This record gives sequence, structure tokens and C-alpha cells, in this order.
Amino acid sequence: MIEFKLPELGENIEQGDLVRLMIAPGSTVSAGQSVMELETDKAVLEVPSSVSGTVQQIHVKEGDKIKVGQVIFTVENGAGVRSAPEIAATVAPTEPVGPPVAASQPAGSPAPSSAPSTPASAPAVERAERRAQPQVASEFKLPELGENISQGDLVRLMIAPGTKVSEGQPVMELETDKAVVEVPSSVSGVVKEVKVKEGEKIKVGQVIFTLEGGAPVQAETTRARNAPVEHVSGQHGARLAFQAAIRAEGKTEEQALPPDQPRPASPVFSMPLQLGKVAGTEHRQAIPAAPHVRRFAREVGVDIYEVKGTGPGGRISEDDIKAYAKALLSAAATAAQAPPRAGYFAQPQLPDFAKWGKVERVSMRGVRRKTAEHLAEAWNTIPHVTQHDRADITELEQLRARFAPKAEEAGGKMTVTAIALKVCAAALKVFPQFNASIDIEKEEIVYKQYINIGVAADTDRGLLVPVIRDVDKKNIVELAVELSQLSKKARDKKITPEEMQGGTFTITNLGGIGGVGFTPIVNHPEVAILGLSRSRMEPEWINGKFEPRLILPLSLSYDHRLIDGADAARFLRWIAEAFEQPFLLSVQG
Amino acid sequence: MSETTNLNIAVVGGGPGGYAAAFLAADLGMTVTLIDPEVNPGGVCLYRGCIPSKALLHVAKLVEESHQAKDWGIEFAAPKINLARLRSWKEGVVKKLTGGLGILSKQRKVRYVQGRAEFENSTTLRVTKTDGAEEVLSFDRIIIATGSRPAIVPSLKLDTPRMMDSTGALNLEDIPGSLLVVGGGYIGLELGSVYAALGTRVTVVEMLSGLLPGADRDLVLPLHKRLEKMFEGILLNTTVAAVQDEGTGIRATFEGADVGVSEAKPHEKVFDRVLVSVGRKPNSEIAGLEKTQVQVGQRGFIQVNKQLQTDDLAVYAIGDVVGEPMLAHKAMHEGRTAVEAIAGHKVAFEPNAIPAVVFTDPEVAWCGLTETQAQNENREIKVAKFPWAASGRAITLDRPEGMTKLLIDPQTERVLGVGIVGVGAGELIAEGVLAVEMAALARDVAMTIHPHPTLSETVMESAEVFFGTSTDIYRPKRG
Repeated sequence: MIEFKLPELGENIEQGDLVRLMIAPGSTVSAGQSVMELETDKAVLEVPSSVSGTVQQIHVKEGDKIKVGQVIFTVENGAGVRSAPEIAATVAPTEPVGPPVAASQPAGSPAPSSAPSTPASAPAVERAERRAQPQVASEFKLPELGENISQGDLVRLMIAPGTKVSEGQPVMELETDKAVVEVPSSVSGVVKEVKVKEGEKIKVGQVIFTLEGGAPVQAETTRARNAPVEHVSGQHGARLAFQAAIRAEGKTEEQALPPDQPRPASPVFSMPLQLGKVAGTEHRQAIPAAPHVRRFAREVGVDIYEVKGTGPGGRISEDDIKAYAKALLSAAATAAQAPPRAGYFAQPQLPDFAKWGKVERVSMRGVRRKTAEHLAEAWNTIPHVTQHDRADITELEQLRARFAPKAEEAGGKMTVTAIALKVCAAALKVFPQFNASIDIEKEEIVYKQYINIGVAADTDRGLLVPVIRDVDKKNIVELAVELSQLSKKARDKKITPEEMQGGTFTITNLGGIGGVGFTPIVNHPEVAILGLSRSRMEPEWINGKFEPRLILPLSLSYDHRLIDGADAARFLRWIAEAFEQPFLLSVQG
Repeated sequence: MSETTNLNIAVVGGGPGGYAAAFLAADLGMTVTLIDPEVNPGGVCLYRGCIPSKALLHVAKLVEESHQAKDWGIEFAAPKINLARLRSWKEGVVKKLTGGLGILSKQRKVRYVQGRAEFENSTTLRVTKTDGAEEVLSFDRIIIATGSRPAIVPSLKLDTPRMMDSTGALNLEDIPGSLLVVGGGYIGLELGSVYAALGTRVTVVEMLSGLLPGADRDLVLPLHKRLEKMFEGILLNTTVAAVQDEGTGIRATFEGADVGVSEAKPHEKVFDRVLVSVGRKPNSEIAGLEKTQVQVGQRGFIQVNKQLQTDDLAVYAIGDVVGEPMLAHKAMHEGRTAVEAIAGHKVAFEPNAIPAVVFTDPEVAWCGLTETQAQNENREIKVAKFPWAASGRAITLDRPEGMTKLLIDPQTERVLGVGIVGVGAGELIAEGVLAVEMAALARDVAMTIHPHPTLSETVMESAEVFFGTSTDIYRPKRG
């Protein structure tokens, strides 16, 4: 009874997942025949058997993780070809279909390159032959290097006893009288003994090194094509070359490259290692895009590292940048224009509230729904920031009290809101970007040459915002009268939609209720809103002592797409100062 | 952009970075003043660097080839060298090119001021002209392009013309019998090659374990082999501990592990001349710079962002004075980028590859990622090499020692770096730079028809090596 164990699959591959088993107890296998598919972290491999016979017992199942060396199955009457002792015990295969395999080659002698076989099964035989090599040390001899080159000086050896070599891997550099050539190995395995030294003259045919557990590769025609492939990474090759290089310089690796320590700073000029990483450039890896594409991305304000290239090897084209920029814009536009149903109502499924107690469901039509839609849209579209400030209105309050009767006479009420209207109108003249809107589609900013200010009114129907027109052209008494009338209309449900349109800025005063500050939501498509909270007496440090002053808290929310934080701070400071020194209004307003 | 075109800018320093910046600024409609102590623009590159050294290296190559011609059945008598003639030819080259730049300045209406500039503040310069006159000028923006100078090792300072830096060596006062080159970087090897070709016995001392520190070893090897034949000695892991003027020569004392182990590695030796080429230092000690916000970082480099703007918003800096690599072509690209940034274009200095070329014989050139760098960054790459022994063109030139290699990303098969050693490598690397900048795949390079028979085919063939299908070399694909 012979066991088939998972053979070496390649460098650094120690195990794999069994994806498919191609045999069952009772099947006949021949050496070279694929018996299973194994998925390693590099690829899915077909694993050929190295034994022949009738499968007796299978020790693995699909889905198993299998390690190199693990027993896969056993065969009866089998012909094992994995090691010399097994070969010694081999009898002719009893397998009925397949051709006789080269398993019974005497140990140590190279397998003939053409065993009698049908063409169809030739590859299998090749594999078998390859596998059939007994595990005796084999040799690597200096191959033919070229015409009229019979010898060379060994410049650099890239291997040492114990080094793993694979076919095609460069093992040394040889200087002939024509050039320095890299000599690749034609064998795979672990180097046992190196028979040459650097600096020696080496002749074609001379033994370079011997191998442990290696299989000398035959003429190219017998190179197995679908046997598991050994992977040698560039990194590994480079590492070997590096090790060889420092050995050539008579140093240990530590000397050449002390751990965690760059090479000693020397006054000697050295070509910088990291060309392209010069002063002022970030440590990002080179992006796969042509220079003009990189510049285009910069011009349209796209971070090219965010763009996925559609070209070969992930190359980024100008079209990729355009598509990415378009996607960004339309995402923003979608957020802005999304039907509120999608934006606001498309929510994760609600739980069954009734589960926890009695509930009542009321229709949300009318003002409440409009408010919900409008605010959700504003919130989704506008990157909000709220700036807070305080205005000392002690003086203003005295003025207000003095002029209140005048307003009363005219049929209005001289409120802080009425004064705020005048203050804001003046401020909007000084800071026109607060009296603007963003036209995303046309990529334009719309500066309005008129100042219409909405005032949020708390009604029993909900939040309504009547708009007072041409605020800058009216005096405070006129404003007080108009505000009173509009507010009344709103509360009396007599306000028309027209009277709530065309605003360029909004004021919302919660001071009547209380609070020390809040973050109003910008009334889209306006770009800023001023919130007033309750003014109260507070101790202010003035001229070396605390004085009781009447302080009005101000909260300005704004659209950060259009308005920079510093401008908002300046705008709000201007308003605060205007409240403090109403004279400003006549000077600048 | 339109409002920036009438900006008034100054460029301090007329090297390749400086004049490239000045010319572009003029082309964009700015008013430009270019300030430099020389008669014409050009800087170190044209007056005392790239250009004169290349003129001499051309001569050196001719001499070397005349020797080699013996193998081809052509024998020349030993060359007679007319040093004065050689010098004046070299100076003629310099004059022609710098004069040309002077004319280009005039044509572009760049105001060229011959003198030295000193900062009064971020936007004002006091210029002391070469004729002694002084002028105080104000600008909207100032670009510092003051370059670099040869580094000096204090222990190697001797007040004798026998002690030279690269400037002195290019003056070619005589052909010394023996020359010690301190520093195995590109400047030392280029100038050492010139002197060796003219008949000087050249010894190179390098404190690190190989010539051209920083370059991939496989690129250096063929050069090392050839220099071993050309030079009297190459002393690695060796430093010059002391120099002593003995009147008839300079006695140099060596230090290092290998010193004294053989006759070829003596403890000390007398040389007719010594060339110190241990690197270059940025010229950031600019008078009045402290009156600006400009910050100078470690190793003396002026700190800039990707737009080449210093910490002083009105001041930009480019070229050697802002950092490695100290190469003319890097400076020119930076100069142009700085001007575009000043003009309000959204630009940044962000090349994927800056070529480095050592103009020895054979030349060594590389760009983008190097194997050394990949190793340091623990980056997995595949390297495809094409030895020139398989290049028909290289064989016809009798120079088969070259090699071309591509560094390839194993996942995307994109070309990340290119390294070339061999005759004309400096010209060939341009294709590599383009491949890296365009994010070419190995397949793109392999499928681009290259003219036959040329050395440029080696670039294509190294890409074919990657796929294991190179026509002229048998090397099956690995793994």
C-alpha cells in the first residue's frame, strides 16, 4: 500500500484548500494524472498524482485545508515513484488504460525524454517523468553560453548552500571576454554544495553546484507545463542578488544594511535613491496616468488618487477623470434635487411601534410635510456651519424703548426682529455673498441685487416664513409695521404663497421662548440664516469692572460651499457691532 | 489668469532652472528680470558643469576608441594633445551656448542684470551689479534659483592649485601625471575618465563599498569593470584621512579596512593633483533672506511646497537649492512649474520619473523606481533584463557589456522603472522616462516597433524578456 502525499507546490506555498477531488475509492490513477484541484493563495492548481494504482482510501474531502506532506489517498497494487526505496519496491503498474509509466526507471539515471505513449497522454507522461526523478542530489553544470564562448570568470555568485533555486532563476554572473552574463539555473531545488568560487575561471560543462531533492530538468521539450509552478518573486530574486552582492563585498548583511538604520550619512554625493520624491512632493506612489492627465485632474480639482483607471494596468485617462468629476457633480446634484420622497422618506424600515404601546397615526400633509421636505433637502444639499456671536444691545434697547411708541402709532411693534431686519439688510449690502445663491448646474453664483428677508413665524399650522421685500429701502418703523402685518396674516392663515417667496436671507427669532443659542437650517436656495436667542443681562468686563449689559445671542448658519468661515465670522461680527452701535447703519448700511 | 500676466517677477540665478523659469514667465506675458553674476545666463551647468564636461568626455571617448580600433584593424599613432586648443574648443562650446541664451533673453525682453541680489524684504531686491552700480528693485514675485556649489571637506583643504574641485578640473590647466579623485560619484568618475583618457594615471577613492552609491549594483558593474582597466586604482571602503602639500605633489593618507592589504591599496601615495568631488551644497546662504519668511531646512535646502512656493508667499525657489536630485533637468521642470503656479495655473511638481545619467563610458542611466529603492520599500517587483551581448548593434560597436532592465509591477505589469548601462544609455533612458510617465505596460513597450539595428531595441527586448519571448535571447519566463 502506498500513500500519496501533497507534494511541494511552490515557494512559500504550504497549504491549500481542496476545491475538487477527481478520484474516488476504487478509481485507478496513474502517475501524472490530475487527482485534485487545490486553491492556494496564488492560484488554483491541478495536482498530479505521483503514484499509480487503485485508490483504496481517500483521507481528505473537498473544502479541507491540506498541508504539504499530508496524506491524500492510498493505493493498492500501487507503484510509488516518490522515493528511491519506493521505486525499489515498485512493480509494473496494473492500471488498465494508461500507458506504462516511467516509474520503473533505475534510480539515478535520467528518464528518457520519450516514453512510448499515445500523443494524447504525452503531457501526463512528461509530468510523470519529471516526478519520477529520484531524490538524489543532482547537479547544475555551466551550460553553453554562446558561440565560441567556452569559459568565463565567475564575477558574482548568487547562491549558497541551502539556497532554494528554481529553474530560470539567475544563480551567478559570469564575465566572458564579450560581456558579463547572468546564468540562470536549469534545475530547481535546494543547493547542497557549491563547487565554484567567485573569481574562478569556469568552463562550459563544469559542475557549479549540486542539489538536494531537486529534479534536473531535461531538454526543454520535457518541461512540464501544467505541473505546479514555483513562484519566485522579483523581491526574492532581488534579495538573493543583494545577499550575493554584499557577500561579494565581504560584508555581512548587518554590516551592509544595519537594521532600522539608513546608510551612514556621508559627505559623499550619492545619486538620490528616491528620484521623483524630492522636496515638497508627498510620499505617494507614482500614479498610472500620463502627465497631461495628472495636470487635468489638478485643474478640475479631482484628487487623481481617488480615480479608478479603466485602461490597461489601471491606467487613468482624461475620460476617467471627466467621468469621475461628472459622477461627483451628479452625486451632489442628486442630493440637491433628489425628490424628497427618495431623500427624506427613503429610510430604513420602521419598527412596529405598536409593539411597545399604543400609537396614533396622523397625516403629515400640508405645512409639516412641506417643511420636512424642504428642510431635508436643505440639510442634504448644504454643508452647514453655524457661527455664534453675542451683541451688546444695552444702548439699542434704550433706543428701542424710546421709539416703540412711534411704531405703535403706525400700527407695528418695535421688536428686536424688526431692528434685526434693518441690521441684516445693511450687512448684506456689505457682504453680498450672503445675499446670493449657488447654481450648481451652470456652475455659477447668483448675486441678487435686491434684499428680501424672510422671517420665520411660529404658527399653529407650523413653520411659515413670510418675506419682507426691499428691506434695505425701508426704515425701521416701516419694517416693524410690515412685519407685524405679515406675521398676523401668517397666523390667520391668510398669507399667500407669493408672500412667502423671493427671500434672499432669513431671520429666525426664538428669543421669545428662550434658549442661549441654536443651529438654524439654511432656507435653501438662500445661503445663510440668522438665529436670535433670548437676550439677557450679563456681567460684561468693561473698563476694569463688571457691568450689567443686555446681551443678544446670535447664531448664523451658512452654506459653506459659498461662504468661508472667516467671512461668516466677519459678517456676524459686523451685525453684532451694528446692534451695538446703530450709528454704523447710517454710516455703512 | 489674465490678471496675472502683467506680474513683475525676478529670477535670482541664471542656471537652467533660472533661465527656463525666466523665459516661460516672459512667454506668459510677465515682466521678467533675471539676475546672475555671469555675462550671460547658463549657470554652473553651462559654465562649469554639464556642458564643458560633456565636451571633454566626447574627446575622451574618441581617444579611447582610437585605442580600441587596433582590434578592428585600424591603428592610430599615439594622440598628440594640444591642450590649449582643447581648452579653447571647450570654451568655445560654452561661449556659443551661453551667448545663445543671452540672445534668447533679449528676444524675450527679459531684463538681464549681471550682478548679485540681496533681499531687502519679500518683494524687494538690492542688486549690486558687476560694474559696481547698485539698484533697488521691487517685484510681485521672486524666484530663487541660486543652485549649488562643490562641497568642501575641511580636512582636504590645501591652498595649492594642485587641489581642485570640479571647476578647477574643468579648467584643464595641465595633464597631470597622476590624479587622485576623492569621491566615486558621477562627477568624480566623469572627470576621472577625462583625465585618464588624456594620459593621467587616475586613482579613485570611495568611502562606501561601491562606485556610484545609490545606483543599482548591476548597472554599475560593467562601468566598474571598464574603469578598472582605465584607472590605476579604485579604492573602495576607503577615505582620505589627510593630505599634505609636498611642493612637488600632494601626499594623501588613506584609511579603511582594506588599506595596506596589498600593493594596490597603499597607506599613502603622492599625486600630482587631487580632485575633490564629494558632492554639492545648496547655495541657500542668500544675503537678506532672513528678512523674508523663507525657511531653510536641514542640509541647507530651502523648503518649498509642490508649487515650489516657500513659506514666504511671494517667494518661490527651484532647482538645486530646494533639494535632491541636483540635476539641471529637474531644475528646469521646477522652474517652469513655479512660473505656471505664479500665473495662477493649477500645477504641481509631481513627476513619476526623473532620469539620472552618469556620462562615463559606458554610460549609466536610470529613471523611476530602482531595485535598491524597491528593496528598501519592501515592494514586490519583477525585473526583466536584456544583456547587450544579444544586441546586434552593441556587437557592431564592439561594446557588448551593456544591459537594459525594466522594473515591472507584477500585478499590473506596468513599467515602474528603467535602468540602462552601456554606450549611449543617457540617450536611451528618455524612452524609459516616457514609458514610466505614460504608465506604459511591459506589453506596450514590447509591442512598440523599434528600429533595427539600434541599441533602443534593448528596451523593447527587455520587455519581451519579461514575457519570456525575446527574439534575441533565450530566457524562459520565470514563475
